[in-house]
Amino acid sequence: MPKITIQTTVNGRSVSKDVDPSLRLLDFLREELYLTGAKEGCGAGECGTCSVFVDGVLMKSCLMPAGKAQGTTIETVEGLAERNRLTVLQQAFHKTGASQCGYCIPGMVMAATSCLRGNPHASLDEIKEHLGGNICRCTGYSKIFEAVELARDVLNGSVPATALQEDAFKDSFLGANVRRLDAPSKVTGALKYAGDMTMPGMLHLQVLRSPHAHARIVSLDTSEAERMPGVEAVVTSADVPGVDGYGVFIHDQPVLARGKVRFVGDAVAAIAAETVAQARDALEKIKVVYEELPAVFDAEEAMKPGAPLVHEGNTDNICQHIPIRKGNIEDGFAKADVILEETFRTQRVEHAYLEPEAGLAYVEPDGTVTIHSPSQNITHHRHMLAHILAMPINKVRMIMSPVGGGFGGKEDMIYQGILALAAIKSRRPVRYVFTREESILVSAKRHPFVMRLRMGLTKDGRITATHMHSISDGGAYALSTPGVMRKHCILGAGPYEIDNVRIDAYGIYTNNTPSGAFRTFGAMQSLFATESMMDMAAEKLGLDPFEIRRINAMRDGAVTHTQQKLGSVSMLQVLDTLEKGSRWQPGVPNGRGATRDDLGGPGTRAPCTLGVRLRDTSDVAAE
Amino acid sequence: MYDDGRKKRGRGMAAGWYGIARTAAIDRAGAWAELDDGGTAKVVTGVTEIGEGILTVLAQIAAEEMGIRPEDVTIGDNDTARAPEAAHAGATRQTYMIGNAVALAAREARNRLVSVIAEKWQVPAESIQTRNGEMWAPGTNLRLTMEEAVAQCKGVGVVPVGSASFTADHTALDPVDGSGRPWQAYVFGAQVAEVEVDTATGEVQVLGIWAAHDVGRAINPRGVEGQIEGAVVMGVGQALMEDYQLDDQGRTTTPGFAKYILPTALDVPQVTSFIVEDPDPLSPLGAKGIGEPAMVQTAPAILNAIYDAIGVRITTLPATPERVLEALASKREKAA
Repeated sequence: MPKITIQTTVNGRSVSKDVDPSLRLLDFLREELYLTGAKEGCGAGECGTCSVFVDGVLMKSCLMPAGKAQGTTIETVEGLAERNRLTVLQQAFHKTGASQCGYCIPGMVMAATSCLRGNPHASLDEIKEHLGGNICRCTGYSKIFEAVELARDVLNGSVPATALQEDAFKDSFLGANVRRLDAPSKVTGALKYAGDMTMPGMLHLQVLRSPHAHARIVSLDTSEAERMPGVEAVVTSADVPGVDGYGVFIHDQPVLARGKVRFVGDAVAAIAAETVAQARDALEKIKVVYEELPAVFDAEEAMKPGAPLVHEGNTDNICQHIPIRKGNIEDGFAKADVILEETFRTQRVEHAYLEPEAGLAYVEPDGTVTIHSPSQNITHHRHMLAHILAMPINKVRMIMSPVGGGFGGKEDMIYQGILALAAIKSRRPVRYVFTREESILVSAKRHPFVMRLRMGLTKDGRITATHMHSISDGGAYALSTPGVMRKHCILGAGPYEIDNVRIDAYGIYTNNTPSGAFRTFGAMQSLFATESMMDMAAEKLGLDPFEIRRINAMRDGAVTHTQQKLGSVSMLQVLDTLEKGSRWQPGVPNGRGATRDDLGGPGTRAPCTLGVRLRDTSDVAAE
Repeated sequence: MYDDGRKKRGRGMAAGWYGIARTAAIDRAGAWAELDDGGTAKVVTGVTEIGEGILTVLAQIAAEEMGIRPEDVTIGDNDTARAPEAAHAGATRQTYMIGNAVALAAREARNRLVSVIAEKWQVPAESIQTRNGEMWAPGTNLRLTMEEAVAQCKGVGVVPVGSASFTADHTALDPVDGSGRPWQAYVFGAQVAEVEVDTATGEVQVLGIWAAHDVGRAINPRGVEGQIEGAVVMGVGQALMEDYQLDDQGRTTTPGFAKYILPTALDVPQVTSFIVEDPDPLSPLGAKGIGEPAMVQTAPAILNAIYDAIGVRITTLPATPERVLEALASKREKAA
């Protein structure tokens, strides 16, 4: 394809480049100009990480063809401030702790800059609307709002610039609001995540993934793909020299499919080529013949005799069962005045870290295989990879690149093995950057649970027995399922001292997207059930929600559900602090009547009335 | 005012607890430290930032232990071939495991330096104070900058280095009754949610969250708040909108952010955090953790608030407008 010449002004400098006309503005900035502050979070204009100014207008650069930038003036996050300086807004982000993983932050800084340039007196609601197209997964947005309001006030002169300075150091650095040391690198876009890194001679990896949930691979022919332009290495499970398997607790997942695929998206083969496009073209030339197998998509179905088996050698699809037994629940229920019973269900949740998985692998002169990736567990990954590569452990080097959000989702070694094999085979550095769709398709999800919970209580609110039976769909591979079942059970009956407890959790293999580690590791699911039932019990017994929890709360020296004697227990202190701090008005759930005055006070925001306000200020009235 | 017939408000709460660091398995982390030229320091440990602020926390801890400033600390942090094992960035273990390893390593380096200077000064090493870039012996006029102290230490042939390993003594669960000591440090927390439910559309807005959490000791209070606020909003997503779905052949029907709905700036409640400090007695810092524990209460608090507002108990997450409307319809049916 003939190239086009693009002449623009970028961050005050004239630029002229001959580029492929299919390039997006985002690619032009990142690949041609090495301005990697703009990130690709989704490639579809939905997350805002790629935001830049084009002729002063905030644009999502992933949606704009590079050719449209001809003759324009572009400003990126790198150009907002002079070198080694920060704008007032960037200083405000630094001051308030508005950046966490930092991956959304360049886009967030651009959107906030746009907001304040448009209106130096923007209200909080206007700020929120301006940031509405930028997703942040770490911060909960609160510190970002605080930063933009602070910058606004400094810029419009209503507070002095000294407000941007770090809080004064008192007696100790422990307990002080020391500003984040990494914030300047994040608010300026200077920090390099794995997908921003390049090396001379670097190849690009792409992976062929299974369209079937459960199928035998009858044949895999890569010969035509190997002859495609730009292809330097084709990798399959045949290239694994060592013991092929990884997983956080059970090594049941091969680096690339070995004889069969177990979920839609399972990695089958990989190609390293000179460009991403060449690697993608070559993937289409890989010939795979599949024989579809009966599949199972429901955890309870998978436990029934005769269900399709996801893993050979596993006869009941049970990946992990964890039992907890304390006291005797029959005795406990016999002592109860009321018994409640309910089934609770939770969904699969995507981690949605803004940084899609990415990595860069190469072989060092001494033969060491080095992999940069946002791995949440380089220690364990190096162990597993040494076995997979049949190499001494000190010849496998894992470098943890800045993690653009993890939440447990980057504990799984789902691509580092492929990268290592491709770097060894091609003798070149190899980079692999997931698209958002690929990330969502193949990364682990929060375990969905079905929890049957039965709780017995005396009429004065004391829990006499808790019985929870949980079944969770762990998907096609174990990943963190054993540990998630364990934490689900240990914590599931809640922070209460209960004499009689029985909990069972079953993590089940199915042909669904694998479930894995996700912030709280199974505990939020079981505690959702228990804490919902605590309120059901409060209503039934005419008690206040704080009161019923106080009656049962673990106290100093409490014995847990796993029969561990605790020392100091802060539960009551926490409840007292919260009850007072939230201005809680005691009463039975849904029974506090019209006279209550605890609603709508300090600590609440106004309900969102975006649509209404926009209509009010539009030209509708003039029509 | 808060019940106009169509829109109804309510409040709910939930409590929770959490264990810190690896579950039901012994946990460990290592660190190296060196008081360096210019009164700076190098701290090396094998794990890095995932956004929670650990590098800043470690710099604060090292600075406090060594008597220098956080900005004087350089952290070498992320490389299995260059740094000691610190294991994984998860399980709410970073501040607890790596923070304590760094504290102990920094303390050893500092003590090596102090013992050299104590000998020069002819004072007991225990009497020497170090803080904010200076070293002095109280009650005397003996005082040095840390830059000078390091130079003098090296002048007698000693490089002030330290190393440490921190252990959390956890045991496996019994395979039959689950008994065991899965963690040595526990945190407790509770949250209140205030919601508004539009009974015509089923839409739920979370207007306020009050969150009280024990963190042992807040090394960086603003960082703790940031973790709570992020966890709360993730909890709002789980409670009300997020749902990764598969069809009957195991193919996702939510392949991108257009279909997989996440909380945005317009969805977030005002969050008020209360930090409770019940120090951990088994570690030098007394700090515990907050990354995960702050999100266990949010969803049940919201669902309990929905019940308080409209008297329907949603038992399946997320509480989408469709589910809320369905529950309201079934409540009306039962009443009729």
